[in-house]
Amino acid sequence: MSATESASLRLYWPAQRQRNRGAGGLLIVVAAFLALYAYLFPGLLSVGGVAKFSQSWLPLALVSMAQAILMLAGGVSLAIGAMVSLGAVIAATTMAGPLGVAGGSALVIVAGLGAGAACGVIVVRLGLPAIVVTLAASFIIGGGALLILPRPGGTIPAWLSDWLAGDTPVAALLVVLAVMFWKLYLATPLGLSLYAAGENPDAAYRAGVPVDAARIAAYAVSGLLSTCAGLFVAAKTGSGDPVIGEAFTLNSIAAAVLGGVGFLGGRGAMRGALAGSLLLSVMINVMYFLGFPPVAHYIAQGLIIIGAVALPEFTARRSSP
Amino acid sequence: MTPAPTLAARGVSKSFFGNVVLRDVSIALQPGRIHALLGENGAGKSTLINILSGALLPDQGVVEIDDRTFRGLNPRDAHRAGIAVVQQELGLTSQLSIAENIGLGALPRAYGLIDYRGLARRARAAMDLVGLNEHLATPVGDLPLGRRQMVEIAKALFREPRVLILDEPTSSLSAHEVETLTGLLDRVSAKGTAILYISHRLNEVMRLCQHVTVLKDGAVTADRSLEGVEAADLVRLMVGRDTGQLFPQWTPSADCDPIVSVTGLCSGVLRDIDISIRRGEVLGIGGLVGQGQDDFLLSLYGALPASARSAEFNGRPILPESVRNANALGLAYVPADRKREGLHLIHAIGWNLMLPSLAQAFGLSLRDRARERALTGTLADRFAIKGDLTRQVQALSGGNQQKVALAKWTPAEPQVWLLNDPTRGVDVETKREIYALLRRLAADGKAIVLSSSDTPELVHLCDRVAVMREGRIAATIEREALSEEAIVAAAMGAEPLRTAA
Repeated sequence: MSATESASLRLYWPAQRQRNRGAGGLLIVVAAFLALYAYLFPGLLSVGGVAKFSQSWLPLALVSMAQAILMLAGGVSLAIGAMVSLGAVIAATTMAGPLGVAGGSALVIVAGLGAGAACGVIVVRLGLPAIVVTLAASFIIGGGALLILPRPGGTIPAWLSDWLAGDTPVAALLVVLAVMFWKLYLATPLGLSLYAAGENPDAAYRAGVPVDAARIAAYAVSGLLSTCAGLFVAAKTGSGDPVIGEAFTLNSIAAAVLGGVGFLGGRGAMRGALAGSLLLSVMINVMYFLGFPPVAHYIAQGLIIIGAVALPEFTARRSSP
Repeated sequence: MTPAPTLAARGVSKSFFGNVVLRDVSIALQPGRIHALLGENGAGKSTLINILSGALLPDQGVVEIDDRTFRGLNPRDAHRAGIAVVQQELGLTSQLSIAENIGLGALPRAYGLIDYRGLARRARAAMDLVGLNEHLATPVGDLPLGRRQMVEIAKALFREPRVLILDEPTSSLSAHEVETLTGLLDRVSAKGTAILYISHRLNEVMRLCQHVTVLKDGAVTADRSLEGVEAADLVRLMVGRDTGQLFPQWTPSADCDPIVSVTGLCSGVLRDIDISIRRGEVLGIGGLVGQGQDDFLLSLYGALPASARSAEFNGRPILPESVRNANALGLAYVPADRKREGLHLIHAIGWNLMLPSLAQAFGLSLRDRARERALTGTLADRFAIKGDLTRQVQALSGGNQQKVALAKWTPAEPQVWLLNDPTRGVDVETKREIYALLRRLAADGKAIVLSSSDTPELVHLCDRVAVMREGRIAATIEREALSEEAIVAAAMGAEPLRTAA
C-alpha cells in the first residue's frame, strides 16, 4: 500500500476529531476560567492543588458522563443522584466489614450496573418514558439507600480515603481512566450504536443495529458511573450519607447541556459533557475566591446554561435562513 | 427457462386499520435483472418493499428467499440473506462519519472492538463504487442531501447484497450523480445481483430496467418485460379506476373573480410560484408526494415564512404573516395529518368543534355554554357527525374525524378553504359527503384549494389542476384537458405539457 493510499484510509483519529470539533469554543471558555482560577489561587499549580481540585471535580465529571451517555442514546435520568447516594452508603457499610474494600467495591459496581440495567429494561422493553421511569427509580433507589443507612454514618477505611482523596492527584488519574474507558467503549460496535440508536432508532433498527441492546447497555454503564461517583464521595468524606447525591441529578444535566449534548438523542460528544462539568466546578471555585456569596453560583450557573444553549441555536439560525 | 428468483413475494396482502394497501401481490426478483416497480402515490410500493425487507409482516402470503419460505421475515434475517434496502427517507446518523455510517449494523470487528482499518478499506471501496470522494471521516451531517443519498447506496453495497432494493434513489440526486448510479447498477446487476428499482422518473426506468411490475391500488396490473413497452403504456397501467357515483355532477360556477393572487411566491422548497385562485372554483394541487404541495398551502396560510413579488388576499395587498392574520383574511386550513395537526384527539368532539371560534374570541371573555351547545349541535347535524358530542374525538372513525376537522371552520365562514389531502384514510361514504360539500362551497362562491394525492379526485372534482414538481408549478391543466394521464404525465415529467393558465 502506498503512502498516500494509507493516508486517505486514516479513519479513527480523524473521525474522533470531527466528532469533537463542536466542543472547541467551550474548551476555550474552560481554559479561560482555569487561567483565572490559577491567577487567583496560584496554589492550584502544585501537585497538592491539582489533587484538591480534581477531587472536587471528579464526582461531577463521573455523573456528567453518566447523564451524557443516556442523552446520547435518546434518554435522560433523574435517578443519577439517588444512584450516587446508593453507591456511597454501600461503600460506607461494607468496606469496613468482612467484605473488605474489594468486596465493597464489587458490590458498588454490581449495584450500579444492576439498578441501571433495570431502569434500561423498563424504559426500552416496556416503551415507557425515560423521564417518568427514572423519576420513579430515584424514589425507589433513594429509599433503598435510606434503608441501608438511615442516617449519615458508616466508615471508609482511612487508607482508602487517603489514597483516593489525599495529597496525591489520584482523582485526576481517575478522570483520565474514565475517559479512556469511554474511548474504548465507543470503539466497540455496541458503543458506536449509541449514536445511531439515539438519533434515529427506526432507521438504525432497519440497518441491523442492535438498538435495544445499545440503549440498555447505556443505562447499565450510566448506573455504574453514578455508583462509582458515590463511592468516591464516601471516600472523600470518610463516611456514608444516604442523601448526599441529591444535587448531582440536576447538575449532571446542567453539565451535559452546557457541553452541547442534545436532549433529542445522538447529538453532542462526551468531551463536551466533561468540559461542561469542568466549567461548573471551576466557576464555583472562582466565584468563591472572588468573594461572591455561596448561593450566587446557582444564579450564575443558570445564566451560563441559558447562554450556552442559546448561542449555538442563534448561530445555526443565522447560517441557515 | 428463467432462473430461480433470489427473492420473491407470493400472494401478499396487507391492510392498515381496515384500509387494504396490498391485495394478493406477487413479485419475483431474479439474479442479474433490474426490475422496476411502478405505481402512483399510495399504490402500495413502500409497503411491498417493507414486506420484502422484513420491516413489516404481511397479513397473508409469504416471502421466499432462494428456496426458503418465510412467514415472519425480520430485518436481521433479511440482512443475513443478503437483502439490502436504500430507503426513501434517509436513515443516516449525522454525528457519525461517512465510513462509520456505511458500516453501521455490519461493522467489522477485531478483538471485540471495531476494526477501523478494515472498515476504512471496505468503506473506501464502497464509496469509490458510487463516486464519493469525500474523506472517510467526514461527518454525514456535513453532506448535502444528494451526497447523503449516495452514502445510503454505498451502505447497501458495503454489505455485498444479493438483492438490492432502491426506493426512489434518484429523487435528490444531481444529473451527474444519476449517471454514476445508473452505470453502477448496470455493473452490479451484471455480477448477478437482483435489483428492485422504484422510481417516478419513467425515462430512467425505460433506460435502466429490463422488467416491470406495476401496482395500482395495491394490486398488480402488469408484470412483464419492458421490451417494446412505451412510457405512455406504463402511465395507462398505473392510472384509471372505476369511480362509479362517487363524485357529484360537475357544473361550472358563475362567479370567477380572483380572491387570492400571488406572483413570485417563495417559501420552503417553493420557487417562484404564480397563482391566482378564483371564487367559485375548486383548484386542485397535484404531483408526486413532497414536491412542495404542503409548503404551498402553509405559506398561503401564513404558517411558513414566505415572500412574494406581489400578493392580494381578499382585496388586501398583503401576504398573511401569521395564522391569525390568515384567519382574519378569510382563510381556513385543514391539514393532512388530522391526528397530529388537525384535531385534539383526547378532547371532546364539541370542544374540537368550538376551538377556532374560541381562538377568535376576545382573550378573557366568558364562554356562553348554551350558545356553544347550540352551535356544536347545528354543526354536528349539518355534517352528520353521529353520537354524543362529549366523547373524545379519537373514538370516531377516520371519516367522522375528518368531518369534525372540516366542520370546526364553518362558523368562521372562510372565503378560501385550503385542504391538504382531506380524503386520505377516509371511507367511501364520507368521501362522497366531502366531495359534495366541496362543490357546494364552490357553488356558494367560496374558493377551494384541494391538494390531493388521489388523482381521480383531482380529475373529477376540480375546475383546474396545478401540478407541482420540485417546488414549481410544472403545468396547470384546465377542466377540458383534465385526465389522470395528463396529471401523472405532468407530475413525472414524462412529456412537456403546458396549457395556458
